[in-house]
Amino acid sequence: MKIKIDGKTVEIFAGARIMDVVRRYSRAAWKQVRTNEKKVYDAYGHEVALDGELGGGEELFIKACPPEETRP
Amino acid sequence: MTRSRRARPGLRPVLVALLAVLGLASCAVRPPAPVPPAESHIVIFHINDTHAKIDAFAKIAAILDAERKTGSEVFFFSAGDIFTGDPVVDRFDPPGRPIVKILERLGLDLLTLGNHEFDYGPDALKDLLARFRTVSANIEAPAGVLPGLEPSAVLKTRDGLRMVVFGLIQVEPGNGLPSAHPDKLRGLQFSEPLARAAGLKRLRDDGEILIGLTHIGYQQDLALARQWPEIDVIVGGHSHTRVDPAENVEGVLVAQAGSDNRFLGRIDLHLRNGRIVGKEGVLIDLARTTAEDAGIKALVAEYQRSPALARIVARAPFEIGGKEALGSLMSDAIRWAHGLDVAFQNNGGIRLNRLPQAITLKDVYTLEPFGNPVVRFDMTPAEIRSLVQSSFERNNAIDLQVSGLSYEVRTDTEKRVREIRLRLPDGSPLAEDRTYSVGLSSYIGSSYTFSHKDPGRSLQTTVADALLGYLESGADLGVYTRDLVRALAERAPGAPRN
Repeated sequence: MKIKIDGKTVEIFAGARIMDVVRRYSRAAWKQVRTNEKKVYDAYGHEVALDGELGGGEELFIKACPPEETRP
Repeated sequence: MTRSRRARPGLRPVLVALLAVLGLASCAVRPPAPVPPAESHIVIFHINDTHAKIDAFAKIAAILDAERKTGSEVFFFSAGDIFTGDPVVDRFDPPGRPIVKILERLGLDLLTLGNHEFDYGPDALKDLLARFRTVSANIEAPAGVLPGLEPSAVLKTRDGLRMVVFGLIQVEPGNGLPSAHPDKLRGLQFSEPLARAAGLKRLRDDGEILIGLTHIGYQQDLALARQWPEIDVIVGGHSHTRVDPAENVEGVLVAQAGSDNRFLGRIDLHLRNGRIVGKEGVLIDLARTTAEDAGIKALVAEYQRSPALARIVARAPFEIGGKEALGSLMSDAIRWAHGLDVAFQNNGGIRLNRLPQAITLKDVYTLEPFGNPVVRFDMTPAEIRSLVQSSFERNNAIDLQVSGLSYEVRTDTEKRVREIRLRLPDGSPLAEDRTYSVGLSSYIGSSYTFSHKDPGRSLQTTVADALLGYLESGADLGVYTRDLVRALAERAPGAPRN
């Protein structure tokens, strides 16, 4: 299946999770995400967990983590 | 607060009341709804993709309890995938029982099935269905296979308002099945969720509130909202998306609470005369809450101390140590579990130096703690060589342990790969004109660079699952010696290691 990540199309096995797509995309990006330096977001700006499941056709973005939220 | 944009006939409640007064409503197929209250407030708490993580339930219980004590009308939903992801729950006897018991104590009102609800097999699924009201409209099962599963359910509030909730489960575009091992789905039929939803529109007339409790992923939830804007709320799961606050899409409030019990979703519905006049959804970050229910905390602690992980799953004639022996054991297990020609295990994925003679469940999950699924690729020998070369070049050393063939990497004096020879267990070369089924962990499948015409597919069970099954099958562990190479050479040609 094909997933777009930071504008680049990544072809990955069916049933891949978000972490698989990030690893396929870039070793450096994977390291940043794994160490919580950056997070993965969907096309609508929502954070997605690394073990999130994909169906194909999704668009993902890797971005720096936002400042800590203060919601009680 | 988000105002509902869904147009509803404003005179309808008045008309229903009038019909009831005149005694004419007895002609209707459905009994009339009682006169709706002037003002109502409903709170729906929701979780999704819990994946057997039970630690935060004491906090969730405290939040639910506090809200119930205020007198609010409180409901608690799960949008699927409560199972699979923590050995304490996955390997309990019977599997899943801890999370099921906890959710019973918390008063879960409604559940939709996720693709991982099938992982533990039919008995666990039937037990789940017997304990919780469960909805999924795009699953068809022969009589008695999924007893109690309903396409939709009507929950009534204290005020007599009817909340209609339908369920949907994701299916993969390729095979039309949820992302689960096909053996677990035998006899069941699944339809494409959005197409199925198009046939549910009559549900709008069955209640004052219409909710989709879905396990189809956020992107599909958005498509559902656009396709059917008369839905009031979609409580979703599957994509592990942290939607905070819930999104208003075409007037439909779309919510999802991440995964692994890191967040609890809360939706507030405000109704006037049986009509939604406001709705909003937020996530409660459970890492930032402190109140805990003492009873649930004690129950969770009891399960965490469960002796299940100390269970001995196999006995070896000696300790199994070293990357070669442990990697061979793991790759043999992958090949055995899925009936594959070849399997590889990378050295970095072997997280234990040695297995004791009495191998426990905990040892298995320590050896392979990642929960990586097995991925199958059908590969030519040339493609297998490209994988071996890529693995070797990562550190200029042998990195992949293998089952089903042996390989030899020849390099020049500067460690550049010159030739890779592949041989079957009987010593013969692989047939260059055919493909071999190859099992890899998802880590290798995603992070190693190799050529493969087959895009590959997850087999929806983990390396640890394969290892556990292999060990419990009574496999001969006497071959996994320190001097594994000699042991392999000495065994009868073609004989499998197990």
